[in-house]
Amino acid sequence: MKSYLLASLAILLACCFVGTAFAADSGSGEMEMLVFPEAYKAMKVNNGGTISGVVKFEGDVPEKAALEITKDEKVCGADPKFDESLVVGEGNALKNTIVYLIDISAGKDFDEKAKTEIDQKGCKFTPHVQIVPVGARLTMLNSDKIMHNVHIFSKINKPVNKAQPKARRKMPLKAVKKAEGPVEVKCDVHGWMSAWVSYVPHPYFAVTNEKGEFTLEDVPAGEYKLGYWHEACGTNSKAPVAVTVEAGGTVTQDFTLKMK
Amino acid sequence: MRIRTIALLLILFGMLVGFNFAHAQNAPEASEKGKQVYENSCAHCHGIEGRGDGSAAENLLPKPRDFTRGLYKIRSTETGQLPTDQDLFDIITEGMPGSSMPPWDTALSANDRWEVVAYIKTFYDGFKEAETPPKQINLSGKVPYAEQSVETGKALYTELGCVECHGDVGRGDGTSAPDLTDEWGFQSWPANLTQGWNFRGGSDTEDIFKRFIGGLAGSAMPAFEGDSFPGFGLTAEESSRMIELDNKDEMTEAEEEESAQLYEKYDAAVDIAVNLAEGTELSAEEKQIYDDAMSVVYEKSWHLANYVKSLMPEKRPEPAIGNNVLRSQYIQGELPEMDDAAWETLEASYFPLVGQVVIEPRQFNPTIDAVNVKSYYNDTEVAFLFIWDDRTHTTDETDEETGKTLEDALAIQFPVKVPQGPTAPKPYFLWGGRLPVYLWHWKASAPDQVTELTAKGINNAGVQEAQGELQAQGTYTNGQYKLWVKRALKTDDKKDLQLESGVFVPIAFSAWDGANGDVDTKRVMTSWYTFVLEPVPSSKRFIYPPLIALLSVGFLFGLRAFVQRRNSEEA
Ligand SMILES: [Cu+2]
Repeated sequence: MKSYLLASLAILLACCFVGTAFAADSGSGEMEMLVFPEAYKAMKVNNGGTISGVVKFEGDVPEKAALEITKDEKVCGADPKFDESLVVGEGNALKNTIVYLIDISAGKDFDEKAKTEIDQKGCKFTPHVQIVPVGARLTMLNSDKIMHNVHIFSKINKPVNKAQPKARRKMPLKAVKKAEGPVEVKCDVHGWMSAWVSYVPHPYFAVTNEKGEFTLEDVPAGEYKLGYWHEACGTNSKAPVAVTVEAGGTVTQDFTLKMK
Repeated sequence: MRIRTIALLLILFGMLVGFNFAHAQNAPEASEKGKQVYENSCAHCHGIEGRGDGSAAENLLPKPRDFTRGLYKIRSTETGQLPTDQDLFDIITEGMPGSSMPPWDTALSANDRWEVVAYIKTFYDGFKEAETPPKQINLSGKVPYAEQSVETGKALYTELGCVECHGDVGRGDGTSAPDLTDEWGFQSWPANLTQGWNFRGGSDTEDIFKRFIGGLAGSAMPAFEGDSFPGFGLTAEESSRMIELDNKDEMTEAEEEESAQLYEKYDAAVDIAVNLAEGTELSAEEKQIYDDAMSVVYEKSWHLANYVKSLMPEKRPEPAIGNNVLRSQYIQGELPEMDDAAWETLEASYFPLVGQVVIEPRQFNPTIDAVNVKSYYNDTEVAFLFIWDDRTHTTDETDEETGKTLEDALAIQFPVKVPQGPTAPKPYFLWGGRLPVYLWHWKASAPDQVTELTAKGINNAGVQEAQGELQAQGTYTNGQYKLWVKRALKTDDKKDLQLESGVFVPIAFSAWDGANGDVDTKRVMTSWYTFVLEPVPSSKRFIYPPLIALLSVGFLFGLRAFVQRRNSEEA
């Protein structure tokens, strides 16, 4: 017993002496965030304009390496899985970029029919980047018939850490109250599973498709700051692009992003 | 007489009432006093601003709690709720086993502890903003511990996916165990459910139930309250039926229909639960559905808690000192092989391991609790069985920082020469020094081999040139290593330990968990313990005592002769 106590004491003492100044850097730490307006008012938008464009990637595209599937091989390893933090398509099209209006204070309401779901299929989250209106439920689907564990690393809202056993095909999550994001969604059972969710206060958010395309519709005429966010390329929050939208008109704004 | 009885009853009653009051206490308003106590006693680890980043935090895992996010693991309250003041007070008072948080019951007065509770609440605005007190977990439906309940709990353990992280028999060795992180991105190992003494919030069935229902906020452990249960809103029979149908490869049309209906009921109940969580007022009918569903959930959770309780011994084993010293048992004939049932009948001696923190690089965050040892010997040989839990089987991993190869390993340490008598000096416990030590070194990558080493210090060990005839066999199953070693009692090698019945021999251990970054001096270990070849060979019982008596007499005569001679010389 004595040696046991002594060793414990040694640990305590060592903690006191060895401790050095230390800045917390919690790995997933300083992700760049979206910028939200202080207030937003929903109203009817007549003869709004459209902002559209294409997001491209510039630079060497790292070779696609299949993720290592370490468990549930039958379900998860049926087809190869790739890291989706940088998906570059034909003509350098950059998928999964959020393009949005930073400073809009009034505009259309959310489309109630828009689905706010993330499916877990083949041990992969689809889509990889999801937009969820504040006050709406994010519904987690489980098409795999195995257990997943939905872990959403929110900081402003309460983090979510909820098991989704195999019989839970559909798991609606409680709506959040505050705008936040993007925050990472992970599965603790399958460490490689990763997605991003943004809880947003207005509907002027778009996520680029395989062709790198985005469209923001029904934008009230006016001047706006146009922002983007990409998991691997970061944001332009500090120097957003100014766009002027005319009633019924279309503005084209393309982006070329580099690795941050 | 009667008056005294009444007085006694009154006192007892008073104590009970007092006790109850103590368990509903709230913290005072935050004050300068609380700040002072906090900064003196807590800030070192938890930081001046409560962010869990005090100067000592770097080396600790689990990390000191960051108080600014209102996430507390050990609570008596439901999922997503803040802890009660009493919860915070209890943690400060009792500490958190298995972490660096010590109990403060003697270092701080109760008053100071309450002041600290009040002060740490100021780090998170949610405490001030909360309009209602946190909702406490209802413990009233406790299901008594019984075999049937344990069985039901066992089925749930698999159904709910506990097994993914905590492993088949609960040793924290599930296939997902190495990938878990907490809310701050730090590694978060699942609990070894067979070691209740390391549970941060205690290991009573009630504690287990509360952790399960409420979740350990901030850790990788999800909460299982309410609608997390498959078949929420269904009766126990209905949910088993739902799962049964799910597991069928093909369903008939009628079964499809039945399954769809069950899922419909399930989805409807989930919807009600989410509505409630979002703050929607429920209708009387909805409330009934919800309450019924929750009573099923609570009952299942008690079964699960009973099952988890069944996985652990009643209390932590006593370390191998005093009456529990490792005593190798004499048997005649062949020593048992590794899988021999003879090992089952032996009680293991328990050697708790602690992080090596004397020499860089140190291990502040041990993951191996202890090594358990059994031993037999016969007239020529000794056999040991070493048993220890390790969540991961690591044989060849590269340390990202140092580039070193990480693997699980164990070393058993003896002095080269047994000290003569209890006060004679032993070699330095950290692998010797001026006095050398003799070691058996085992590595997971070569499980059926033990290497003999001689060491004169933790960084001064060498493989013996003459490797003796040691037999070894190592296995890893369900998060547990077993190593069997057999050696002759006597060898020809002067660098080896020679064993003799009845002699107390110092013994010590080092263990490495590769997945925890253990390598070289970064390891867990014990200080010196002792073991003895228990001298109770019944056939020799009639030879030894007379022999010892004779020797004693001889010794006395010798002594007398010696004293007489010295006396005569002096004279
Ligand atoms: Cu998963």
